[in-house]
Amino acid sequence: MTFAISQTNLRLLVDQLIQDGIFVVGPRRSGSMVLYEPLSKGEALTLDALPRRSAKELFFPVCEDILTYERVEGKMAVRDVDRAHYPETVLVGAPPCDAASPAILDSVFSWDYLDDFYLERRKKTTIIGMGCTRGDDACFCSAVGLAPDSVAGSDLFLTPLPGDEYACQVITEKGRSLTADYPGLFHEQSPVDPLPAPKQEMKQLNLERIKNWLDTHFDDPLWEKFADICAGCGACAFVCPACHCFDINDEGSSEKGTRRKHWDACGFGKFTNHASGHNPRDVQNKRYRNRIMHKFKYYNDKFGKTLCTGCGRCVRACPVGIDIAGILAEIDAK
Amino acid sequence: MTTINQNCYDSVTEAIRREAAKLLQEQTVAAVVGYVAGRRPGTASPAVAKSAEDAEKLVFSPACVNNLALFLSKAKKGIVPKGKTAIVAKGCDLRALAGLIGESQLNREDLVVIGVACAGVFSAAGERSLPLSDANIAAKCRECTIHTPEGVDVVAGTLPQLPDFDPVEAKELARLEAMTPQERWAFWKEHFSRCIRCMACRQICPFCYCEQCLCDRNRPQAVESSPRPAGNLAWHIVRAMHLAGRCAGCAECERSCPMDIPLNLLNRRMAQELKEQYQYEAGTTPQEKGPLNQYREDDDQSFIK
Amino acid sequence: MHSAEKKHDFEPKVVAFVCTWCTYAGADLAGTSRMQYPPNVRVLKFPCTGRIDPVFILRAFQKGADGVLVSGCHPGDCHYMAGNFHARRRFAAFRVLLGFVGVDLNRLQFSWVSAAEGGKWVEVVTELTERVRAMGPMREFKELEQEEQWSATLTTPELQQAYESI
Repeated sequence: MTFAISQTNLRLLVDQLIQDGIFVVGPRRSGSMVLYEPLSKGEALTLDALPRRSAKELFFPVCEDILTYERVEGKMAVRDVDRAHYPETVLVGAPPCDAASPAILDSVFSWDYLDDFYLERRKKTTIIGMGCTRGDDACFCSAVGLAPDSVAGSDLFLTPLPGDEYACQVITEKGRSLTADYPGLFHEQSPVDPLPAPKQEMKQLNLERIKNWLDTHFDDPLWEKFADICAGCGACAFVCPACHCFDINDEGSSEKGTRRKHWDACGFGKFTNHASGHNPRDVQNKRYRNRIMHKFKYYNDKFGKTLCTGCGRCVRACPVGIDIAGILAEIDAK
Repeated sequence: MTTINQNCYDSVTEAIRREAAKLLQEQTVAAVVGYVAGRRPGTASPAVAKSAEDAEKLVFSPACVNNLALFLSKAKKGIVPKGKTAIVAKGCDLRALAGLIGESQLNREDLVVIGVACAGVFSAAGERSLPLSDANIAAKCRECTIHTPEGVDVVAGTLPQLPDFDPVEAKELARLEAMTPQERWAFWKEHFSRCIRCMACRQICPFCYCEQCLCDRNRPQAVESSPRPAGNLAWHIVRAMHLAGRCAGCAECERSCPMDIPLNLLNRRMAQELKEQYQYEAGTTPQEKGPLNQYREDDDQSFIK
Repeated sequence: MHSAEKKHDFEPKVVAFVCTWCTYAGADLAGTSRMQYPPNVRVLKFPCTGRIDPVFILRAFQKGADGVLVSGCHPGDCHYMAGNFHARRRFAAFRVLLGFVGVDLNRLQFSWVSAAEGGKWVEVVTELTERVRAMGPMREFKELEQEEQWSATLTTPELQQAYESI
């Protein structure tokens, strides 16, 4: 027998979670796009398109306050943001490429410094992953070791079945307690074949071989070929589920203001600009090289993980058509 | 649905290759800035051809959306080798080239312009696996006035019969104009609040070539650099203002926006005003001064007390 | 001021960007002539209207101004020959842009006030202040300043409403 939930009940689950005071985030139509946004009712859950931005912003917001300061009677009063107020959260309907990313990012946010902002949110979030049936030609999750039905990172995983049903797989304790809290919404049914996963154009990449090439080709004319045309925007990094660089900015006056943390991208010319004016990554292809190196070499060296889930968002978003999957395939073929 | 005959793109491709190969072989130019096909069907990306061999890879198709004038601007220096450069230019790109020449960023004598007879390109959201049609053509192409290039050194291809397109962008502009200020504020607020400050609109713009963008400065800070609704609004207003009278209308900012913000509406509104007030229009002839760095003593001042 | 002093429910903040040669001198004349005008206006002095960047206006609204006044020399009187001619075009364009984004242009006033026109300065400032007072606070920018991306606040007005309705 398969443990399952109908789509109607999945939406009902969202409604009930909200009623129980849980913050529910899922793909929702927003203007011309689908984005991960807080859901106010299950009906709003939109499961037929890949959200334009990844789910990372639930843990790592586009911009958040980290402290506020104000001069009071000649003294500077600094107030930290209260991290305890983060609500219990459920992320629902994340495809494997999004569900997998927090588990990858955990390493960097809990490495030498424990980033409470990230970790608190992470601790309080349960991820309901969902098997993907909606890939397009930019997707390459199976090329980087995931798959449209991969459960990595999910606490509970739903596999789409014919007839608007989802087979439900409990992956972690968090997922088990979620199903235990709402038993009426799940049912048992005889096993059926899941809906077919989208076929991906990309062949499986040999990440080991790619890393070996990167280990020895920091300086290589190929980088110019790959990324001379990079326009230097942050579109790829900002839609990426795994890019996690941020900048910290004080905004306000000398009397009163806020320290804010917000996304940054290695594509920006100012990213590594030193105070002296010297920039070690002085041209765009060196900046793009860093993007590839960080994802497929540095992160691997440090944490043994690949910083890419193959969602293909950067491929779709790049205004000059730089195709990371194509570049990886070319390196792999070396 | 009206589909555009695809053969014209093949004839343009052929002409570009022929011309580029010739220019490179004869060493008339150091490089040809053009397009190459992408890995995925229906995609293309900018490329700099430096040899006759590279020239063979150049293409032109409805996927060739980029404005290549970008790569000749100061902001992108080093990408194109020094020396004379040939560039593949659609009508909209020609206006950008003229603008850059007018702003003394380029010398016409250093360029060989391969103008393409362009029937149109895909819109950002358009289906790329189908031929170009009413359904997937970019909004700017629906109202294009320079399908056939003028003032270029070589014209590549010939233009097929084009259907009359519905001017969706002009209609959208009129719709916004008819709104109350409150409604317009709500419209832009919704769009700008989604902005993530990836700066694609700035980086892809041929005219955003400042070495130090005002919006990157923090001492003093004119515009908040954090991607919050307040700073986002300020950034987009500043961007539109800095491009007023310079924008060539290629709509690359809007196309490259990953958050689908209709940025070209701002540019168009400004262009419309500058045309009405100062009879200025971005064209293919370089103009020494834009409308906002010249004046007439009898300029309208009905808004000034 | 003494006799005309009235209590209002709302005192608008008006920021005036003025050129030093004409309008600032005009405002000074109004003062030395003991003319009365609303104290709501905060004057910022610039060398020329040509120096007044549209960003200043935007910034003023963002930081809490309810009304903005930009004032300088009459056409032909610019100390730098043509600064105000250039400014005139620039502000004409900027005004349209602000209007297109949805800012009520009644909150933004441009004027020419010469060094001899203390009376006109009083008139312009009074009129703008009273107009803005009648319009009420500039809510749009103030509200926007408080807004965050959803992920930063982890709640939305819509969601709050949903919670409250439970």
